[in-house]
Amino acid sequence: MSSGLGNLMMKEIKEMLRDPKILVGIVLMPLLMFPIMGSAIGISQTAVEESIKESLKSASIAVLDLDGELAAKSLIGFLAESNMTLLEIDASNEEEALKRLQETNATVLLVIPPDFSYNMTNGLKGDLKIYTVFKSMSVTEAGKASAAGAPVTLYESALVFHMIQQAFPGRDPKTVLDPVGLSYYIVFKGKFIKAPPEALLSGIIMSQSLGFPMVIMLMLITAMQIAATAIAIEKEEKTLETLLTLPVGRLSILAGKLAGSVTVAGAGAIAALVGVNYYTGSIFSGLASAGTPPIDLEALGLVPSPLAYLLLGVTLFVTIVSALALAICIAIFSENVRSAQTLVSYLILPIVIPSIFLMLADINILPRAVQIALYAIPYTHSIIAAKAAFTGDYLTMLTSIAYISLFTVAILYIAAKIFTTERVVTARISLKRLRLKRE
Amino acid sequence: MAIESRDIVKNFGNIRALTGLSFQVRRGEIYGLIGPNGAGKTTALRIMATLIKPTSGSAEVFSFDVEKQASEVRKIISYLPEEAGAYRNLSGHEYLEFMARFYAGSKATAQKMVEEAAEISGLGERLKDKVKTYSKGMNRRLLIARALMVKPKLAILDEPTGGLDVVHAFHVRRIIQDYVEKHGVTVLLSSHNMLEVEFLCNRVALINEGKIVDEGSPQKLKSSYNAKNLEEAFMEATSLE
Repeated sequence: MSSGLGNLMMKEIKEMLRDPKILVGIVLMPLLMFPIMGSAIGISQTAVEESIKESLKSASIAVLDLDGELAAKSLIGFLAESNMTLLEIDASNEEEALKRLQETNATVLLVIPPDFSYNMTNGLKGDLKIYTVFKSMSVTEAGKASAAGAPVTLYESALVFHMIQQAFPGRDPKTVLDPVGLSYYIVFKGKFIKAPPEALLSGIIMSQSLGFPMVIMLMLITAMQIAATAIAIEKEEKTLETLLTLPVGRLSILAGKLAGSVTVAGAGAIAALVGVNYYTGSIFSGLASAGTPPIDLEALGLVPSPLAYLLLGVTLFVTIVSALALAICIAIFSENVRSAQTLVSYLILPIVIPSIFLMLADINILPRAVQIALYAIPYTHSIIAAKAAFTGDYLTMLTSIAYISLFTVAILYIAAKIFTTERVVTARISLKRLRLKRE
Repeated sequence: MAIESRDIVKNFGNIRALTGLSFQVRRGEIYGLIGPNGAGKTTALRIMATLIKPTSGSAEVFSFDVEKQASEVRKIISYLPEEAGAYRNLSGHEYLEFMARFYAGSKATAQKMVEEAAEISGLGERLKDKVKTYSKGMNRRLLIARALMVKPKLAILDEPTGGLDVVHAFHVRRIIQDYVEKHGVTVLLSSHNMLEVEFLCNRVALINEGKIVDEGSPQKLKSSYNAKNLEEAFMEATSLE
């Protein structure tokens, strides 16, 4: 007679992958959802940039010149030479000019106050005002407004350069303005690269702080839902009762369920990983285009070594096995698929909470009580281990693996106990009854 | 003896499902448990199938203790729960193959079992279709075929025709009867359907409130209570009228 484990595992995989809910929800959705999200962000970013460029080409600035003197004329002349269309508004005050602005297609009003030229020629600050009309609350509108200020800034620079050249003939105005050069270097564990600290921040945020907790969170939730659903369907259809009377060990049945769920959850995790990678890549390229260049993490040794990858794999494996065993223990007490999913959803909280905390902060800077609470949750250690993989902190990784493994063994022991007793058939938690009791 | 049940008591918390159940099933006979809902029929079958343990008392299946030698019992029995389903996303053929592998020592034996099941079920080409496309009757025929294809020493069938229409119920009864005659399998079944029990069983136990109130062949029970059918005999025996 067959030991049955392989038979059970193959059945589990076949049954799960043929279930459209599992195939679409667990494997195809993450594979499609994240790239679609990433593409959507990419497409909208490009659209915004294009829209700003287009609007700049055809942008028109309305100018209210209340000064009328030399400096004001010089400014208007400079602006007229830029790409923008200038529209001079004839009004006696700003309120009237704003009313007139509504009749035009211009969205920006530049006001040159009466004493602008006097101030400029007498060494005082020449104040200008820019009014921006927002037609909608979009990035494009905000872009138009800042773009309108750009020529004025250019005028200011040209003016400053001119003044410097007059005051310091033969000197480079750039050196006069910025006499001290400052280069930023990042040093990490003896390795250094030339990059501003904020670049490292964005690199870490994308790769570790957001990426890994998100993937671990997704993977665990997915795996738990799969395992709980698989058990609940067996209970609902009474196929579990049949299985338990077959000449196959109860532990083989449990192991078959776990192995099948691990395989399918693994496929789901890979799908999520591929999807998330594409998604973060899209955001990364967005950041790069926004002026924050991606940093070479490899040069700093912030890319996991083969050993770190191996330990990371072990961490993910023990984490997923414990989550599956936990979900199976809980789902055994359910009456049907719906109640199993509800019961398992209560377990999602301890997974999501550490992920959220550790996405935003390092555990060591959190208040002591929060730290203790987080350390008690085994899934916190999965994220800590994943982060440690990037810094090559093997001791932390091994400690985390040990803690999760202990928890996994305890949960597997409970699951095995339940499976070898009649509780696997008789255990029921009626959610309805629980609610009634509470009332 | 195929089954020897001695004074079995089963409690679920405060509920006493069986209150001292004792009966014997001879080898090669079809033995029926009949009684109202909640009488303890399914609990008795689950104990014989090693799914649950008695609170007190003992039971033996072909001399194996259901509690202490559960894994030995599982090798010689086949259990069909009431209203059971099969794996919806497997085809009927795949389901039978999956089940056969637990009993067969080789691929060839497993294949023989599946062929036998195909014949028993009479589902023909529909075995290639996924189970989720089957009607209730087809599903039950598949499961009966699964239970019998392994030629168990004891088949435990809980309401084998429960919820089936006349045609499917007739077909399932024929399957059971033919198979027992052909292979000498012992069957322990439960049913609400007194006519079915009368038609199928060699001996019947009337079960009420967790214990057997009378036992014998359908003919003997009818004459004991001067009843036209088993239904009347049951009502007399349990004084429910």
